[in-house]
Amino acid sequence: MSSPKTTTTCLPASTHKAELPENALVLPPTRQLQSLLTIIRDEKTHRGDFVFTSDRIIRLLVEEGLNHLPVVDKKVTTPTGKVYDGVAFQGRICGVSIMRAGEAMEAGLRDCCRSVRIGKDEETYQPKLFYAKLPEDIANRYVLLLDPMLATGGSCIKAIEVLLEHGVEEEKILFLNLIASPEGIQKVCKRFPKLRIITAWVDEGLDSNSYIVPGLGDFGDR
Amino acid sequence: MSGHNADHLHPSSRPKLQTRKSSRSKNMVMASHGRAPWYGPDGKNVEAYVIGIAGGSASGKTSVARAILSALNYVPTVLILSQDSFYRALQPEEVKQAFNNDYDFDHPNSIDTPLFVKCLMDLKQGKATEIPVYSFEHHRRMPEKKYIYGASVIIVEGIMALQSPELRSLYDLKVFVNCDSDLMLARRIKRDVKERGRDVEGILDQYLRFVKNSYDNFVQPSSRYADVIVPGSSNQLAIELLVTHVKRQLDTRSLRFRRMLAESGEEKAKARSRSSTLVNGETEDKPNVVLLEQTNQLLGIMTILRDRTTEREEFIFHADRLSTIVVEKALTLVHCQPKTVKTPLGLDYEGLASDDTLVGISILRSGGPFSHGLRRVIRDVPIGALLIQSDPKTGEPLLLKSDLPGSIKCRETSSDVKVLLLDSQMGTGAAAMMAIRVLLDHGIKATNIIFLTYLITESAIHSVHRAFPEVQIVTAAIDPELSEMRIPYDPSSLQLGESLGEADFATKTISHPNMNQSANDVGEKPDPRDGLKTEQELSSNQFKIEVKDTDQLKFSRQHRRDHSGGEKRAWVISPGMGHIGDRYYIS
Repeated sequence: MSSPKTTTTCLPASTHKAELPENALVLPPTRQLQSLLTIIRDEKTHRGDFVFTSDRIIRLLVEEGLNHLPVVDKKVTTPTGKVYDGVAFQGRICGVSIMRAGEAMEAGLRDCCRSVRIGKDEETYQPKLFYAKLPEDIANRYVLLLDPMLATGGSCIKAIEVLLEHGVEEEKILFLNLIASPEGIQKVCKRFPKLRIITAWVDEGLDSNSYIVPGLGDFGDR
Repeated sequence: MSGHNADHLHPSSRPKLQTRKSSRSKNMVMASHGRAPWYGPDGKNVEAYVIGIAGGSASGKTSVARAILSALNYVPTVLILSQDSFYRALQPEEVKQAFNNDYDFDHPNSIDTPLFVKCLMDLKQGKATEIPVYSFEHHRRMPEKKYIYGASVIIVEGIMALQSPELRSLYDLKVFVNCDSDLMLARRIKRDVKERGRDVEGILDQYLRFVKNSYDNFVQPSSRYADVIVPGSSNQLAIELLVTHVKRQLDTRSLRFRRMLAESGEEKAKARSRSSTLVNGETEDKPNVVLLEQTNQLLGIMTILRDRTTEREEFIFHADRLSTIVVEKALTLVHCQPKTVKTPLGLDYEGLASDDTLVGISILRSGGPFSHGLRRVIRDVPIGALLIQSDPKTGEPLLLKSDLPGSIKCRETSSDVKVLLLDSQMGTGAAAMMAIRVLLDHGIKATNIIFLTYLITESAIHSVHRAFPEVQIVTAAIDPELSEMRIPYDPSSLQLGESLGEADFATKTISHPNMNQSANDVGEKPDPRDGLKTEQELSSNQFKIEVKDTDQLKFSRQHRRDHSGGEKRAWVISPGMGHIGDRYYIS
């Protein structure tokens, strides 16, 4: 069945902030990732560059997230006639974006997964479900939940509750996120200990308006 | 026609020199369709052969130079470099004199000798250079420069060609064209009246004031430095002797060079057998080789790409996805500077920014799939291309076309450029070495080159790093060995361009005795006009090349039909993923 070991380049989120839970992971803080974040945080960055650069980070996140899916051993024959011991992907996936900022991440997901089903989940400042359009067979799939910013964690928790109501298993949910606040991570991980969060960066904290600082402003608007 | 073999001499492939010659320059490039390695296995360049031709004005230097050039038509690239390009930039006062025909262009001081020496030195060492353009109409140096790269024989001609000791030390052969003064004057009058629309009075005046003096005082005395003195008229015999000598010199060189390559080939074969027995531990911690983390996703992608039953659409999707991952990994090696920005919340953020000039160069055709991945990561990156394919006759790589961005062609900027060199797989490393050599010849630092690939072999890493240890390699997989395969192929079904393999696929035609003709055909197959196009882009309309097609090619096409089939030998990466370019673009 599924290969026992998961090789990942992710690091535990506690490399950023010491006291964070184990099921929160961050991308390795390479110079390049830092320069990408610098571009999207800069208020002078134009929309085109912002979209392009965040797509790059999202691709890195998705590639990382996919590493947590199971694989099975598979032998194939190469064009040179040799046998190669490889692996095949197993388990079907479904991307769910939390509207509206999460929709911006769909392009990056499609770059990495060919036939991914994408459902939608609406949220507002006060986490209240407006709209949910999810594939019928979502209960059998792994779910990549997309939301670029994890601030208070309210909307994220609401979205996960909706997924669980639709029969998705908690350990089959991967939450992909660009910038997270330590508070948000704490809250989500505490509530759903079997879920995994993969984030590109953990920021300082939240300001009085529940914005992440230093953050990057409103992702959906930009 | 790249072989260093006089057998290839055939009347129909002799270059036809273009008649519409620019009046401004006598520079000329003749190129055949591909350039075999011009460097040894250690990655060091073999120097170009340089001939200096001096002689009085209208003594017949140019025709001697052209006669040598056309006799050397089997040499990949022959360049005639004219001293006219190197006239010094004039002061305003001198410009006035020049317009009044009062400036002495025949004095050694009118030549920018230091620049001349620098350009020639670069060319001799196999580096790219930019030569100035001098306009006689405006009597000044034009702002643009001519980019020249890749000549294996250079013929320098000019009245002062033997004048400076620095220049003389660069020549392998020094020739002086000797001609009677009255004959030279007669030719000069004829030429200047006809081509430059000047009157006889003016010509004679200039002759008496400058040309005659210069000839007697500078040009004629320099003949004592010459190895050979050639008469300026009825000189066929002299030219034949000269050409025979040059050919012998070149043959000796290429023999020595080939021996060097062959020896290294044996060494490589040994390394190959060694590498297949390597235990895992030894392959680790290679300096300057970055292997992607072998995550489940990566292994899954590799499995799809290696599977020969994978559909093309699927192959392209995953090849693009993999190239994106490889490019992202490579960019982590790029240096970054601290930069502070303001976020939309008005807070300062101390981040990083890269200020490097990045350029992608893809080795065609199999590097093509990579450029898509590169564009996904850096939208506006300039992407150049090097068309390198293997010569089925010799198995050596041939440089067929080089198309480089301006920042690399310009020597002032190239030292700061960081290059991402893209090729989908590296089997023997031969194509990669050629590409790296081209970049170094343009003044790019070896530490600024990152080679990106899906798949590489131990022996390729070995040969590339033996020659260029500072080049960084980022790869998704390292395969243990190359294995020899015989691929059946039907020569009559070859399409144009198909005959040459991806250079790194290292195909080599097996020459059965009766296949010889056929093998030769394959070498000649690519349209010689490819080479023409290249060189026109490389240089400018001032340099002309034309390789006459046809009779021989028609003949060879005809001839090929008589053969029913054959085999070619290929070194393929094992287990590998097959012919990546073909799988991406064709089937």
